[in-house]
This record gives sequence, C-alpha cells and structure tokens, in this order.
Amino acid sequence: MASTAGEVRALLSSLRSAYAATPTKLKIIDLYVAYAICTALIQVIYMAIVGSFPFNAFLSGFLSSVGTAVLAVCLRMQVNPKNKEFKELPLERAFADFVLANLVLHLVIMNFLG
Amino acid sequence: MTAPFSLCLSPDRSLHPRLLVLVDDVAVKSSHSLFFNSLADRGYKLDFKLASDPSLALKSYGEYLFDGLILFAPSTEQFGGSVDAAGILEFVDSGRDLILAADSEMSDTMRIIGSECGADFDEDFNAVVIDHLNFAISEDSNEHSLIAADSFVKSNAILGEKDIEAPVLFEGIAHSVAPANDLVIKVLSASSSAYSANPDVSLGDPPALSGSKISLVSVVQARNNARILISGSLSLFSNKFFMSPVTKFGSSKSYDSSGNQQFAEEISKWIFHERGHLKAVHVGHHKAGELQEPQMYRITDHLEYSLEIYEWTGKDWQPYVADDVQVQFYMMSPYILKTLEHNGQGLYHTSFQVPDVYGVFQFKLEYNRLGYTSLSLSKQIPVRPFRHDEYERFIRAAYPYYSSCFSMMFGFFIFGVVFLYHK
Repeated sequence: MASTAGEVRALLSSLRSAYAATPTKLKIIDLYVAYAICTALIQVIYMAIVGSFPFNAFLSGFLSSVGTAVLAVCLRMQVNPKNKEFKELPLERAFADFVLANLVLHLVIMNFLG
Repeated sequence: MTAPFSLCLSPDRSLHPRLLVLVDDVAVKSSHSLFFNSLADRGYKLDFKLASDPSLALKSYGEYLFDGLILFAPSTEQFGGSVDAAGILEFVDSGRDLILAADSEMSDTMRIIGSECGADFDEDFNAVVIDHLNFAISEDSNEHSLIAADSFVKSNAILGEKDIEAPVLFEGIAHSVAPANDLVIKVLSASSSAYSANPDVSLGDPPALSGSKISLVSVVQARNNARILISGSLSLFSNKFFMSPVTKFGSSKSYDSSGNQQFAEEISKWIFHERGHLKAVHVGHHKAGELQEPQMYRITDHLEYSLEIYEWTGKDWQPYVADDVQVQFYMMSPYILKTLEHNGQGLYHTSFQVPDVYGVFQFKLEYNRLGYTSLSLSKQIPVRPFRHDEYERFIRAAYPYYSSCFSMMFGFFIFGVVFLYHK
C-alpha cells in the first residue's frame, strides 16, 4: 500500500517537472483547451439541472466548446517541435488552418443556435 | 321565441301522427274511450283494428304507415296480416314508439315482445300482482289484487309538472327489469309488500317476484330515441278505472277519482315525444375573436364553443334551459370539462384555453338525463404545437448557451492575439 502511494507521488512529481519543461507557447494552448473544456462541463451540468428544453441551443453551445477544444488540440500537435509527423509544416500554415476551421465552426454554431 | 324550424318533430313524421291501435276485443275501443279520446284531442289519428285482422300491415312498399303502435291485445297469439313479433320489434328499431299493455291472460307472443324490450314478465301463467297492504278497497273481490300504487319515478319530464296525488289503480301481472339495463325506467313500482302469485292456489315456496323488484309500469328509451311503454295492466287505461274513486287500505283518505287518467295522459305525452325530446343544432366552435370555424387549433389558443338545444313541445320547438350541460375537450380522456352557460333562449356557450398538449381532440357533449333523449355530439379537431417561428426570439432558458458561444468566439480571438504576439 505504501509503495503504490509512493509510486503515485513519484509519478505526479515527474509529470510536473516534465511539464515545466514544455515551451510557453504550448502551455498557452493547454490553458485555452482547459478553458474550453470547463465551459463544456458547465453547460452539461446546467442542462442536467434545468432540462434540455431548447435542445438545439444546448447542442450548439456544447459543440462550440468541444469543437474549439478539438481544434486547439490539433494546433498544439502541429506546432509542437518535438512532433516528428509535422516537422516540415511551418507554424504560420498551422495557425492559418486553425483560424479557418474556427471560422467555419463559429458560422455553423451561430446558425444552429436559433 | 320559437326557433325558425319546420313545425314538426322530424321530416318523416307528419303534423298529425298516425297511431295503430290493435285490440283483441272490439269492446276495448269503447271501454277505454276516455284514453283514446284524449289522444285524438291532441291531434293523433287513431286507427283501430283487431289483432287478428288479415289486412294488418305496418309497412307498405318499405315505408311505415304509422308513427306509433298501441298494443292493447294481450291474449293475441298470432297477429293477422303481415305483422308478427319480429315486425313489431323492427318497427321500434326504426325509431317509432310503442305502448304495450299486458293482462292476466298474456300470450307468449306478447311476452316475447316485452322481454325483447327489456321487461321480463312473470313466467307463471296465472300469477297476478297481489298486495295485502296497499290494495284498493273494492266490493268485487277479496283477493287484494286491485292495487293502489303511488311509488312513481321522480321525473317531471315523464310524469309532468303536476304531482299525481291520487293513487293509480292497477290490476294485472308483474314484470321485472334487469338492474344493469340503464335504458329501462320503472315508472310505477310495486310497494315492498307486493308479490306475484296465483290467487287461487296457496303458496308453497316464496314467490319469485316480490317487493319493489316488481315493476307495474315501465318505460324504455332506446338508443335511437324510440320510446316504449310496458304496462302490466290493460285495465289501468280503462274508463272504469279512470272514473272510479279510490280508498286505499289502511288510509283514511279517500279520493273521488283515481290518478289513472292523469297518469295515462301524462305518460302518453312522454311516449309520443311531446315532452323530453331534445335536439341540438348549430354546434360550432371558433377562435376567440374570429367567426369562422378553423381547420386546426394551436396549443394555448383561446377558443369558444357554442350550440343551441331545443325541446319539442308537441307543436313547436322551444328553447331548452338547463344548468348542467357540459362539454369535454377529449383525447383518450377529457383534458377540459366545462359546464356551458346559457342565455335563457337555448343558446349554450363557453370559452377556454386549449391545453398544452397536441394531438387530435374531440369536442364531446354527452347529455343523458332521466326522461330526456340522450344527446351525444362529438366534433373532431386537430391541435398543433408551436411552429418554429412562434417561439419567443431569445429563450430565457438558453441564455447560458448563448453566452458560452460568444465567450468561445471571444476566447478564440484573445488566444489568437496572445499566441501570435508572444515572444
């Protein structure tokens, strides 16, 4: 028992020190993803309490948060210098794709919001 | 104010309805003349025939020749001409009225007609109604089979506005009605000390029919509004009983004349639809503020429902006034039940809001009161939910979702700025 607790603590501390070594740009993206996921969770809890009456509005709000989180994760993958898959992709191109996808996402969301 | 309708009860009934009177003894025409004259005075055309007359016919080329039938022929086994028990029952099924009087010599044919109409006569051929506590004192017999009955049904429609004060003289056989049958009404029931037995034979077992289970006179109102009178005594309608004084056993009061004449006249008025026949016209509904009847309502619409009810008085249609007419807005079960208000002239109306449920509803009006024809009206109307542009523009419950979408867009913009211009 004591050994597993100790192992968990060792795991967490190594995770924390590894995370401290990530570049600031990626940390900004992580913060943005956390913000989007939090908004999604708040909406789900609200719907569970109040009921799903304007269901299209709920879907629209929820999917805007989740879609934003997904697109931010894609951006993080493409911008990470340690990621061998996207070595030739310039940062500007990745960001431009991100902006375009977000424009489409928000257009659809606004339409579905009702 | 009378309604602007044609002045007759129905299109196939003339202004002077024709009644066929079947007797098995020609003397009945004169011995019951007071009753027949009262009918003739009210405008009916009476046609007297012997029940065994070979030229008897109820129908001619598929059309009925008479609007009502009076069977004062209790001992007839077989009718003459083309009439038989099945034909008489068909006559009633077509909506026409029947008066059937029995007597102690009742034949099987008459019993069958009676039981098809809902009245089961005592099976004992020789049994009469005997009541040792409620008989009328008479010099003729000591058997106590001349009953002075006064337990009437409480209905102004059937027996008229005036109470019948003198008891009604009855001498005949008993019948019973099934309690589960709600179309038959016991107009004159026997008292609890009455029983049905053969007066010449001493009783070994308790009689099958006794007490207030015995009905002396019953009426049936069929679902097609045909009315049938079944009386266990033919002499109830006779001149002798109309004019004879009554002294009931055990009571000091003696009446100069029995209640038979008033009873027979009032009940014949009811049988031939001079009272208690209702008709509902101009049933309609519309949205509040409009005049036309729409094809469909929307939930939470306000609507108004109205109809007019008239009662036939024998000569014309008069407005029917009552406080208990109710309409239901019904889909599998009534969502709304409202009592209609009336304006005293027969116009009933109410208004209510359509419930928040969509589907196909009916305006159902069921009116069944003792002595009145039943009104059963229903009008179907669909109810639709809101169209997508009939909701409010911004739904208050959805404000968190609106705010989350805008916050995501704003966050994206801020993130873009920070990400691009971060050193």
